[in-house]
Amino acid sequence: MIEFKNVSHGPLENLSFKIEQNDRAILFGPSGAGKSTMLFLFNRLKDPEQGEIFYKGKPIEEVPITTLRQKVGLLLQSPNLFPGTVLDNLKYGPSLTNSWEPGAEEKLLEYVQLPLDIKDRDVDHLSGGQQQRVSLARTLANEPEVLLLDEPTSALDNKTAEDIEHVLKELIEAHNLTMVMVTHQMDQARRLGTKGLFMHEGRIQETGELPGMLDDPKTKELKEYLQE
Amino acid sequence: MSPEISNQSLLFLIIFVVVPLSLSYFYQLGMSKNIIVSSLRGTIQLFAIGYILTFLFDLNAFIGIPFMITVMIVIASFHARKKGKELPYVLPTIFFGLILVEVSVLSLWLLFDMVEFTPSEVIPMSGMVIGNSMVAMGLALERMKSEFTENSGRLLAALSLGAEPKQASHLIVQRTLNAALIPNVDRIKTIGLVQLPGMMTGLILGGVEPIMAIKYQLVISLSIFSSVSLSAMFVTLVMYKHFFTKNKQLLDSEEALKEYSSRG
Repeated sequence: MIEFKNVSHGPLENLSFKIEQNDRAILFGPSGAGKSTMLFLFNRLKDPEQGEIFYKGKPIEEVPITTLRQKVGLLLQSPNLFPGTVLDNLKYGPSLTNSWEPGAEEKLLEYVQLPLDIKDRDVDHLSGGQQQRVSLARTLANEPEVLLLDEPTSALDNKTAEDIEHVLKELIEAHNLTMVMVTHQMDQARRLGTKGLFMHEGRIQETGELPGMLDDPKTKELKEYLQE
Repeated sequence: MSPEISNQSLLFLIIFVVVPLSLSYFYQLGMSKNIIVSSLRGTIQLFAIGYILTFLFDLNAFIGIPFMITVMIVIASFHARKKGKELPYVLPTIFFGLILVEVSVLSLWLLFDMVEFTPSEVIPMSGMVIGNSMVAMGLALERMKSEFTENSGRLLAALSLGAEPKQASHLIVQRTLNAALIPNVDRIKTIGLVQLPGMMTGLILGGVEPIMAIKYQLVISLSIFSSVSLSAMFVTLVMYKHFFTKNKQLLDSEEALKEYSSRG
């Protein structure tokens, strides 16, 4: 689905790896390893200084940028909702290509387990957890093939984080989404991921299946990271 | 009241300087030197500009007006540029923006016979338009930079949903323009109620009938209102593009400059 070939950018050094269709990959490792930068490379919010990235076998530059960004959806750490109502936010992506279908909000709100009557609420009047759900629904409105998640629950309290995680798990399983998620929480990685990429000092130090690689780390760096 | 102030009367202005000077002395504010220097400097500057204006007003309108307007626009451009030095092409953008504003306003004044094409009318009124536009552009630049920084998350979200830079920055352009226009709307709303505007006060003191003075004030106030809106809009709509790469990626203002220098 997505392939990096000798990609270097900022702290990232010479990365080569593949994300296959239906993979649920977890990017983890110490802060400053360039994990968020990597997500930005997936949907061209940044371009690599060196190397090549392929999307479905095609060099990423050959896919029109806006199409790529709609197909490779990104959910940021904070909801970053646009001023207005929940519905305004849900419509945003599809409206850019005039593909919003009236009534689509029903399905989207159901995906993120929010009641339908929330659609006319001003986003400023929502709780943090509700805002993050709306943000997720807004990303899903573009019907992405790949979902990039940048620590989607780190800004939330434990209970809300659990709820969002639950929503994500059900969504990904129900729709067979390909997912790449950055997280610092190893228990979350175990629950949501099938494949792990451990990043250390700008390189992928170790890859493997989840949760296996967390129970039986091969490298010294991963062992140390897991002990911290 | 006589429109003429005699030189002897002017001398007694010293009393107005003695007040802050004695305050500084008695309370040991250490500002005495500053007060004397700035009062003297202000006096000299005003007299100098008085003589320059007298000289310009005597010149042929087709020489005096373009000359003085060019000088004002150049100085204003360099001044407003300070608010967005780190952004690429900021000086030419402001320069052309001010020319655009001044030419549009001046054309309307002349077209509808609001102002005569004489240096004594066009130069002071253009000065007010250019000065206010300069401030508006500076404020718009500053505001836009802070909006881009504060809303970088929203911009990234919009881009990641497939928005073009123009669509993604719609909110920022909207807020910047809003911030530039609100003080002017407020100013127009309270005009004449809170304080009499400077130009009108000047004309009334100079012996002009209040109703006549108000007509001039209306021309200048509404001209300023429209030129301030036009300046803010121009600078915002031209400059927002420099916050993005050609691949529709978001830059911060430092990155924007780096990108600009690397393009040569």
